Formats: sequence, structure tokens, C-alpha cells
Amino acid sequence: MPRSQVVLRAVVLLGPVVALLMTGPAGHWPPWWLVLPLTGLAALGAVAPDSPVVAGAGLLVLVWWTVSLGNGVPVSVLVAAAALLAGHVAALLAAYGPREMALERATVLLWVRRGALVLLAVPGAWLVARVLRGQPEQPGIWVLAVAAACVATVVGTAAVEVRRAES
Amino acid sequence: MNGWHATAALGRALVLGAVGLALALVAGDPAVVVLAAPFVVLAAVTLVHRPTRRPRIDSRLDHVALREGHGTTSRLTLDGAEDVEFVTRSAGQPPYVVQRPDGGRVGGLVSRGVPVVEIGPRRWGRRMLGEENVALYTPWAGFRFGPVERGGQPVRVLPATAPYDSRAEVPQPLGLVGRNRSRRTGSGTELAGIRPFQAGDRLRRVNWRVSLRTGNLHVVTTRAEEDTGVLLLVDALADHGVSGGVGGPASSMDLTVRAAAAIAEHHVRAGDRVALRVVGRGREQVGYGAGARHLRRLQDRLADLRVGDVGDGTLQLGVTGGAVVVVLSPMLAESIGTVAAGLTRRGVAVLVVDTLPPDAEPAVAEGVDPVLAGLAWRMRRVERSVVLDRLATLGCPVVAWRGPGTLDDVMRRLARRAQLPRVVSR
Repeated sequence: MPRSQVVLRAVVLLGPVVALLMTGPAGHWPPWWLVLPLTGLAALGAVAPDSPVVAGAGLLVLVWWTVSLGNGVPVSVLVAAAALLAGHVAALLAAYGPREMALERATVLLWVRRGALVLLAVPGAWLVARVLRGQPEQPGIWVLAVAAACVATVVGTAAVEVRRAES
Repeated sequence: MNGWHATAALGRALVLGAVGLALALVAGDPAVVVLAAPFVVLAAVTLVHRPTRRPRIDSRLDHVALREGHGTTSRLTLDGAEDVEFVTRSAGQPPYVVQRPDGGRVGGLVSRGVPVVEIGPRRWGRRMLGEENVALYTPWAGFRFGPVERGGQPVRVLPATAPYDSRAEVPQPLGLVGRNRSRRTGSGTELAGIRPFQAGDRLRRVNWRVSLRTGNLHVVTTRAEEDTGVLLLVDALADHGVSGGVGGPASSMDLTVRAAAAIAEHHVRAGDRVALRVVGRGREQVGYGAGARHLRRLQDRLADLRVGDVGDGTLQLGVTGGAVVVVLSPMLAESIGTVAAGLTRRGVAVLVVDTLPPDAEPAVAEGVDPVLAGLAWRMRRVERSVVLDRLATLGCPVVAWRGPGTLDDVMRRLARRAQLPRVVSR
């Protein structure tokens, strides 16, 4: 297996595990009986990055964050989001072809840039969540916020694509 | 799987984004929104790049015929590929074929050029090259086209001509043109003698020094330069030993085919007429001929030959007087030894090139006791040595193929012997 595939699969393995462990700094360390199955799922995902197992590991992380933290928005959630996204992008890249296929540098760099771009949504969401925490909740505020973010992203991407096509 | 399909990455982004938001709403946990936010964005961007066109994929090789050890390039052509960002190619693994990148698996961004696969066959024969699966991805890898199976292209892999050259003349030149020295006098360059002038002799042949000394006109006579007929008899009844392709260990068929190609090339370039007769399942044969086109025909037949038993029946080679028969064989089949002995008794110049690799081992079939098979193999080799000794006794030289100069010594001996008077059985 080429080195690029080994590195990508290592990230697929570590991403969900790191995201899960990031509740620890906020005072909620995950129990071993959760860490072990998640590590197993992530390992399966690393072996077969094109399988639904990778999504299963991500879902387990989301459920644990929901159960463990309640209303808290710690700083470590930023690291958890980055780790989860890194695992997702690494699985996407590893699933581009068979495990024997090496990925060229240009493709990896493109996806690093894309990941960084997408990751910009995380601090924004974190800031909004911190600001709104403790405020009397408005009905449908989250849905509205997410819908607005989606529309903004879609419009922004479409604009970028049109500009690229024109150039 | 033709057509566009959503990838696992798109499904994962949708699931994680949607479930994350749902959990946040249900549990009132804003931290999960932070975790789900990048996946929502990813899913949205990916859906924006939903493909609208169906691309057309075509692939081709740069060559239709190759020599073993040489290489060609498999190129992919995409039509209607405006929605395509990334291409993945995964080639098959045919035997005796090397590919670069290793294993023929390559992927790359279309904007940097569709990636190519370099293919190099390592053994002669007809090979199907360029079989592969191709998958195309949209920007942000949300949709995949394929994998689409692309059929290969039949390529004739010609045997590598082992470095071979011979300075020996062929024993019985009988043709009209060529570079072999004939026994007859003619308009060549090799001095045959000086004799008194006769009516009809050309004036430019007069040797003035001898004429002045003797007082009578004398002319120089030269030997004619003529071509010969070389029949290559290739034993394709079985393949013994292990073949590792060009540069690796050679089986008996590898040695046979490469030696035949080298000898054919040498004699065709020398202006001789060369014919080919394959004793094997395919019964391939090529009549006498000369020239580059004929050489290519010989090489094509050698590349196409099929190994296997020829069945019952005696071998009729149709050898005419004056031809030299070069038998290329591991000499493990009785019929080949019989043919060589019969031709030698008839007075035909026969030369056996032994192509059995020194380290050849028998292929032991499943269920056969290897000790028994080893014993049978040793017995077979003893019988073979007896056949070779008998052939040598009859005057048929047997040499092991070792490249340049293999045939020089025996050709010279055959040429000297051909000039002696003898009695032959017909």
C-alpha cells in the first residue's frame, strides 16, 4: 500500500477517536466501553473507507457529544469538529480508488484547501452558539440559522464557479 | 455500473449534517451544531455540483505490436467531461505484463491532464493489454460515474531478438543472390583462380600481370555469391521450465522462440530465404521468402504459436535439397529426434539447437507423487541424452543456444562437409 494511502487511513482511524476524546477536557471523558467500539468502527472504516461504517463512527461521536455535554459549548468542540472533518475528507480521498493507488500531491493539496475552507464554518457556528447560550430560545432559531448558512454557502460556491467558468 | 451515483462521502455528509442538526434541536445541545456545521456545508456544496451530462469514455494504446520488453502507453479520452474533476483508472493484471504506476492503478485531477498508464509486456505471444476499470468523480466527490469496464486491445508481442550474429557461411547455397560463397564460379568477389582466356570472357577480368608473364591472356575467376534456404523447425509440443519474461528465467519455449527469431533475422538480413515450420498445436508455417516484410511475417507467426501436442501422424516437412534445417527443440519428443535423424540420413544439412534450460524441472500435476515425477523426469533426460548421442553419431550436430556465435563452428563444419562427396539414402 502506498504511503499516501497509509497516512489517509490513519487519519480515518484517528479522526473519530480524537473527536470523541475531546469531551474529556470539558470534564466528560468517554468510558472505555465506548472508546473501544468506536476505535473498532474507525478501524473498519480505515480498511473500507467507502463503506457506511465511517458514517457510523461519526454518528457515535455526535451521540456521545449530545449525551455528555448538554448545554455546554467548550473550546474543545472546535478540535473535535476539525478531527471529524479530517476523518471524513481522508476517507473520501482514500475511497477515490483501490488501496494500491497512490494519491498525487495536487489532489491532496486541493482537498486540504477545501477542508480549510469548510472548516471556516466551525468557529462561526461556535461563536453563534456561545452568544446564544443562555438566551431565551426563539422557536426555529437553529433551523433558520442553518438554512441561512446553507443558502449563503450555495450562493457563494455558485458565484465562485461562475467566475471560474468565465475566466 | 454506468451512470452517475452518489458517493459514500456525499451520503456521509448528508447523514452527519442532518442527524447532527436533529440531535441539536431535540436535545438543545449547541455543541453538536458546531460538529455538524462543516458537514452541512459540505453536503450543500456537493449537491450544487450535481452532474448534468453523461460523459463518454474511450481508451486506446499507442501501439498494436510490440517487442517483449518494450512498452506502450494506454491513453484515456473523455468526451462531455465538463462535470468531471477526478479520474481513477484501475488496470487488470494480465500475466507477463508490467505496468506503471505500479499495478496500473492511477488517479488524478482532469485539470492536470488525464493520467496515463504505461504498459510493458515481458513475454512474447498475443496479449490483451489495456483492460481496466474507469471511475469519474464530480467536483467535491459527491457523484461517481462507473466504474466502467474498458475492454483491452489485442497486441502481438514479438519475441526479443537475442543478440545473434554469425560469420560462418551456410553449407549449401543454391540460390541466385545473397552473400554466401558458392562452390560455382560466377561474378562474385572471392577469388577462385586464374585460367587462360576463353571466348566470352570479359576484358575487365583479364589479369595483365599473369598474361604478360606467360605470353597468353589469362583471366581471374571468382566464386558466385548466392543465397540459401534455411528452414527453421520449431518444436512447440511442450513448454519446459519456468518463464519469468524477458530478463528473467527462460523456459524452453522462450529459448526456442527467441533463438528462432534471432536466426531468422540474421539470415534474412544476409539475403537468405528463410522458412518456418512449427510442430505444435497451431501448426504454424511460413514458406520460403526474403526481405523485411517476410521477416516480420516470421516474427508474427512465432508470436502467435500455440504450444501443445500435434496429435498422431508423421511429420512431413517438405525439405528440398540445398536447404539447411535448423531444429530448435528441447529434444524431449521422440518425433523431433526421428525427423532430425531422417533428414540427416537423406543428406540434408541439419543442425539441432538444444533449447532445454539446464535447470528445467517437470511440472508435477496435482495428485502425482513428486518423487515418482522426479524419477520419470530423470529417465526422460537419460533417454534424451541417448537421442542426442545418436544424432551426433549420424553427423547431426547438436548445440545449446548461447546467443552470438552459437552456430558458427557447426555451420563451418557443415559447409566443409558439404563439399565432400558422399553417399546418401533416399
